[in-house]
Amino acid sequence: MRCKLCLSVFALFLLFVVLPVFYVFGDTVLNWTSLYNNLASFDLSNLELLLKSILIASMVGFISTILGVIIGFLIYKTNLRGRNFFKVVLLLPLFIAPYIWAVAWKDLFYLMFNNTNFIYSVSGMILVLTTVFTPLSFLIIGSALANIDSAMEESGLVITKFGRVVVKIILPLIKTAIFTSFVLVFIFSISEFSVPAFLGVQVFTTEIFKQFSAFYNHSLAVFQSMLLVVICMVLLVTERKYISGSPFLSIGSKGTTSKTYQLQSKNKYGYLFIGFWFVASILLPLIILVSQAFRNGIGILEKAFVLLLPTFFTSFILALSGAALIVVIGFAVAYFTFRNPGTEMKKIFDWTLLIVFAIPSIIFAISLIKFYNRPAFNFIYAGFAIIVIGYAGKFSFISYKVIENSLKQIPKSFLEVASLEGIKPLSQLWNIIFPFVLPAMLASFVIGFVFSLEELGMTIMLYPPGSEIMPIKVFTIMANAPQSLTSSMILIVFSITLFTILIFYLIVNMFLKKYYLPE
Amino acid sequence: MIQLINITHTYGGKETFRNLSLNVIKNNLTCILGGSGCGKTTILRLIAGLEKPQSGKIKINNKIVTEENRIIIPPHKRNVGFIFQDLALWPHFTVYRNIAFGLEERGENDVKSKVFDMLEFFGIGEHSEKYPNQLSGGQKQLVAIARALVLKPEILLMDEPLANLDVKLKRKILEYIKKLKQNFDLSIIYVTHDHREAFAISDEIVVMDEGKIVETGTVEEIKKSEDTFVKYFLEY
Repeated sequence: MRCKLCLSVFALFLLFVVLPVFYVFGDTVLNWTSLYNNLASFDLSNLELLLKSILIASMVGFISTILGVIIGFLIYKTNLRGRNFFKVVLLLPLFIAPYIWAVAWKDLFYLMFNNTNFIYSVSGMILVLTTVFTPLSFLIIGSALANIDSAMEESGLVITKFGRVVVKIILPLIKTAIFTSFVLVFIFSISEFSVPAFLGVQVFTTEIFKQFSAFYNHSLAVFQSMLLVVICMVLLVTERKYISGSPFLSIGSKGTTSKTYQLQSKNKYGYLFIGFWFVASILLPLIILVSQAFRNGIGILEKAFVLLLPTFFTSFILALSGAALIVVIGFAVAYFTFRNPGTEMKKIFDWTLLIVFAIPSIIFAISLIKFYNRPAFNFIYAGFAIIVIGYAGKFSFISYKVIENSLKQIPKSFLEVASLEGIKPLSQLWNIIFPFVLPAMLASFVIGFVFSLEELGMTIMLYPPGSEIMPIKVFTIMANAPQSLTSSMILIVFSITLFTILIFYLIVNMFLKKYYLPE
Repeated sequence: MIQLINITHTYGGKETFRNLSLNVIKNNLTCILGGSGCGKTTILRLIAGLEKPQSGKIKINNKIVTEENRIIIPPHKRNVGFIFQDLALWPHFTVYRNIAFGLEERGENDVKSKVFDMLEFFGIGEHSEKYPNQLSGGQKQLVAIARALVLKPEILLMDEPLANLDVKLKRKILEYIKKLKQNFDLSIIYVTHDHREAFAISDEIVVMDEGKIVETGTVEEIKKSEDTFVKYFLEY
């Protein structure tokens, strides 16, 4: 019964999310005339753009992963002062839309050097994306570092020096997390649309957007999209076992007895590194953003607020619906795979969500438009349903992985005792499983909400004419708005996001204290 | 009477045992003694119905409960209690709720008095509102036993329940376990790798090595065994 319900949820996911993607891609590949024309249109400049995108994504993936290892080690494996503060605050860029950071960096360069040429370049784009995605790396790698059993390191430390333990024991033990970090950051970077669009850097996603929205060459846009999808899929196939096997984002983990290294005299170097990263990547851009917003007094901020006010309600409802759906899908799939480990169905579930997740937002949006833009589906295409479907498709994988990891932490014997005592499956689900996965479900909801609230690449293509959605409004206005208005709008969006996270945090904390595990 | 007849079991492509047969006498305290990986825990899990054999039959009180890769009677209908090695106390339930949950789910009456009778028997009544992480190792052990016994099982399966306790606590809990048989009309199967534990409580001992039963007998018979493995095992 419970698994039938999970299967039904997955069937709906296949029908509304996966089918459009396969239909549109299949249609492009199987139409020989169009395929021939598209191949002919794919010239040297397209190839250059594709290589440029790959290069940028590789650089961002590489630098973010290296930084993730260093920051992760300092925060999760040392006694660095203030590490708990940094653990939270350094995650900030992950919950704020990338284009907001792009604006903050532009303001920073403008104010400090009176020149923004650097930021409007490939190097600038790498800088912005690195600051945006490094938290993801350090979260994945840090969580892997925190789960290394101290005995493994200590048995190494009694036979060799610390440096050799790092190279020969710690790094090999976290190599899956390192690969996962690189692959995920690569996929996020190559899929990113808002930052290159704002910085005016021509990459493959902006080219696809141009073909689709400016030249109405849908067939070529889909064809180009497929190239990007193939690249992402090749990477995922290569690293599949690492990604599907690794904890991804660990929430509510009790962890093992992890070793903490005493920095002592080296504390100042660690502090210097983390401090520099915090100031350079978060504090300074934000200070500049605030100063720019208030440069001409409070009037501009008021104007920005009035401009954004009509978007709040729709944006919140959309994000709430998206987050709710994401958690339902994530839980249904995770629960099914938890109850049926090692089956073919689990592999199908894993792969399906992974494929949709790996498809860049803009390409996913094109698939949905091409599929739903017909009279029979007008109720989806003409309204907000298509956007919610888009959110569910893009972010359910994250929710699935977070909840699945949480389910895996429930000892098998807890449910076996329940079975022996004759506790019914629904009661097991409610009384034993839910209390354990609740933090992961709530975390998934918050992640889903924030990601949906800020999503731009897909929303900009899917939003119905005449509707007002926050990121779209900001993005369209800031193209021609004065510096201070742009900064004011960004500051409002930033504050709303932070405020929402804070409210959710308080609610979740209150809820967990009341119903979840005792301390 | 519990009978395992010609059981063959594989795990992850590796054979745990082949054609294993074992009879456990009713109301006896039977210890299965053996080293790590010899298949002793698997025997408990098969009896409980948590795992299926590839072939063979399992009978409880002459009723077939498992046959040829098929669970005939599901775990909760076999009337068995299981004490897991990690105890598996639900950490989000208080001691009271850990014990009461099974009774409530079965729709039984007088849940409160049944739970407190059990808690008093084990001398842990004052801890009823505590959570498992607020208890000592020995107290947790007693709660796990109480939780299993409150449902009045005919068979109690214990998988190395004292593995993580110090000697003093082990002795105390072993005394409780000895009393259980008389007070609760139970057949107990107790799995351990420690022959001292087995000698302290058993009516019958089954010694296993690499998926095979190498010796069966009373404590005295096992002590006098001429089997090479048994002699070697008892040396330590």
